[in-house]
Amino acid sequence: MKKANLGSLRRRFTSLLTALTFTVLAVTGVIAFVRPFSIHIIGLHALIGFLFIALVGVHVVNNIRPLKGYLHSRSVWVSLVITLLLAILFFRQPGPVKSILGLSANIGPAMDRFELSDSEMTFHYTPAGSYKMKLTVKTGAAYRIDNPPAAAVWLENQGGYHIKSLLVPEAAMISRLPYWNFKRKGWEKAKREAEKKAGVDIISEATPNGSFDPADYILPASKDNPMPYQLLIEIDQPDDGQPSLVYSVEVDNSDPRAFQLLDLVGYPKRENDSGDKETWALYYVDDQFSSALELINSALLTIERQDPPDAQKKSGTPKSSAFQKL
Amino acid sequence: MTKKDNPTDRRDFLQQSILGSAGAGLVIASTSHVAAAASTDSSEPELINEVDVLVVGGGTAGTIAAIQAGRAGANTLLLERNAQLGGTMTTGGVAFPGLFDAWGQQVIAGIGWELVKECVELDGGEFPNFAKVPQRHWHNQVHINQFLYALLAEEKCEQAGVEIAYYEFPQSVEKTDTGWQVECAGFGTRRRILCKQIIDCTGGAEVVGLMGLDRLREDERQPGSFLFKMDTAHNPAENQLHRLYVHGADSTNSRTVTKANLTGRKAILAKVRNAKQRLMHLQPETGFRESYRIVGEIMITVNDYTSGRVFDDAVAYAFYPVDLHTKSGVKPKPLKPGTVPTIPLRALVPKGSQNVIVAGRCVCSDRLANSGLRVQASCMAMGQAAGAAAALAAKTGSTPLQVPLASIHGVLRENAAIIPETSAV
Ligand SMILES: Cc1cc2nc3c(=O)[nH]c(=O)nc-3n(C[C@H](O)[C@H](O)[C@H](O)COP(=O)(O)OP(=O)(O)OC[C@H]3O[C@@H](n4cnc5c(N)ncnc54)[C@H](O)[C@@H]3O)c2cc1C
Repeated sequence: MKKANLGSLRRRFTSLLTALTFTVLAVTGVIAFVRPFSIHIIGLHALIGFLFIALVGVHVVNNIRPLKGYLHSRSVWVSLVITLLLAILFFRQPGPVKSILGLSANIGPAMDRFELSDSEMTFHYTPAGSYKMKLTVKTGAAYRIDNPPAAAVWLENQGGYHIKSLLVPEAAMISRLPYWNFKRKGWEKAKREAEKKAGVDIISEATPNGSFDPADYILPASKDNPMPYQLLIEIDQPDDGQPSLVYSVEVDNSDPRAFQLLDLVGYPKRENDSGDKETWALYYVDDQFSSALELINSALLTIERQDPPDAQKKSGTPKSSAFQKL
Repeated sequence: MTKKDNPTDRRDFLQQSILGSAGAGLVIASTSHVAAAASTDSSEPELINEVDVLVVGGGTAGTIAAIQAGRAGANTLLLERNAQLGGTMTTGGVAFPGLFDAWGQQVIAGIGWELVKECVELDGGEFPNFAKVPQRHWHNQVHINQFLYALLAEEKCEQAGVEIAYYEFPQSVEKTDTGWQVECAGFGTRRRILCKQIIDCTGGAEVVGLMGLDRLREDERQPGSFLFKMDTAHNPAENQLHRLYVHGADSTNSRTVTKANLTGRKAILAKVRNAKQRLMHLQPETGFRESYRIVGEIMITVNDYTSGRVFDDAVAYAFYPVDLHTKSGVKPKPLKPGTVPTIPLRALVPKGSQNVIVAGRCVCSDRLANSGLRVQASCMAMGQAAGAAAALAAKTGSTPLQVPLASIHGVLRENAAIIPETSAV
């Protein structure tokens, strides 16, 4: 009798807890979808999720007998198939699913998309709903779809510091793109050191360039303090015996342009540096280049801007975490 | 030449001084080589010089203009209101000439580069690698030792036969049949200069102003900067000086320059007190970015500049981003790859004028084009072109715009200048 009481108490308690934790999970899930990324919401969602799994375990043990009954019904198989199909669909993210995800204030901005065809490479980056970047690289005569070149796309601030990689090459190709790799490593190091010094900008540029948050550059909170940034591409055909080439364009939100072509800047060369500190600089293209110059026909950056509402501009909220903090 | 004496007298005098005072330092040559006018009437000058070319302002552009005019055979006098040559580069302390290169190639050379190169070599300094893409637009500027530069500039002037008159400035300029009569003053000096050609290199086209020719000026001008160094010692050509914006700084006359200096120094004193650091270096004068520009025979517009228009009468290249300093700071706008602007001779000639040419930041240009054209390498290139044109005009009894462009180019090439390929020549 005593035992039975205890058992039903435990059951009721588990059921209630399971239901309540599930509510928290569902609500935080919806918030995470519609609101910009928040470490509090995602943290809560994840941890409650673990608790929920544990509770579901207990719940299953508690209700093992009735659950066993389900196994013999047909509906279990139908449910399984439906779940499996949905999982595959959501994982593959075909167009319609993507556009639903694009509605999310959290997932949408993170959906960098890269498409490749034999005439062009298209790259989408949407840091915020009001700011859509598209890079269209028309391939040149030396481009081969069966053996495409290695490429990296990234943003730099005015001080020449890497602020975000938009297209990261496959690991095997990294050595073919030394300039991007050098910039990215420098940035990671600077960021680590800055974090160590907690809050102190170690990038000794005038403060605007000291920020590690791409949002500061792409969506500056104040129009009076525009922070132009560069978009760069490094591209290399591994077997052509020529170094990689770097193209770039400056984006200045105080002088907004919908279309901007990237210019060829130069090629990277390792500096005569001392010790193991590796430094790379760009040099003007000379006569060692032939087919490499034909990899890209043109690279066009298109930015679709919508003025954020005035209130946002003033309070500086565009800077908020529509970005995944890097 | 009816100058009252002969420059070689002075050289002899100096040489004797050196010999006579071996080991004891130099004896300063007196200015007695210019005979005093007999009259004691205070309205009459004490000295009268007759020269081919008078260069007013021995700054960035003027020094080069004078050397070029001297080398081209003109009897040249250089007037400078301050105590040394170099202007903004030395007195202002902006010892950072740029840009001699564009897109991997040298685009400005000539006498300016010759001086800069010698200065860096003598100082044991380093040259930027022009094959390298600069990370920031100013990375390929050359760090020079301002003190050494001023000395070398004097030496080069002397070698070119240029006579220097410090602490002097023109007070009036009158047209004559053969050129100009310029009344000048310095402390204890009143000088009349009769010259065939004038090159105005005062920065703000002050002589052109005295002539009553049109000049341009913006309502809001770029701030000046006072250069100084706190805390650590200044190592010339090695490190940069601190800069303090002096808003409203105006180089037009002694009153406005005084005001800028007082304002700048007061602010620096406040900084020293505030930071409780030692003041280790202070330039003698504010550096001025912008004042008057001439209304020339042609105006270089920002479109000409950013499109790299090659003028028919181009005498030099220029290279720098559009770089306007405003109250909210600087926002350089780089030129498109491959673009190298050019400077036409007509932009150096005041509209409707004869026998006068300018060089330096007062070049006829709109404000945005000027923000790129005003840098030192371009000023030097303009100086050299103006020097060649004025010397040739003096020699042929014509005015700079009548001198065949090919002759000007010829003189410039003899002095290692790089000249844009124009269709006209
Ligand atoms: C703070 C600052 C930073 C700058 N930074 C750079 C830089 O990094 N790189 C770069 O290349 N350029 C830079 N510039 C621009 C450049 O230094 C100037 O535009 C350039 O030196 C101007 O040359 P100029 O020959 O026209 O005038 P100046 O070099 O100023 O020469 C004018 C000369 O004329 C004399 N003078 C004036 N009036 C009279 C008169 N009435 N009678 C007799 N003499 C007179 C003056 O004393 C002076 O010596 C900077 C300028 C400033 C102020």
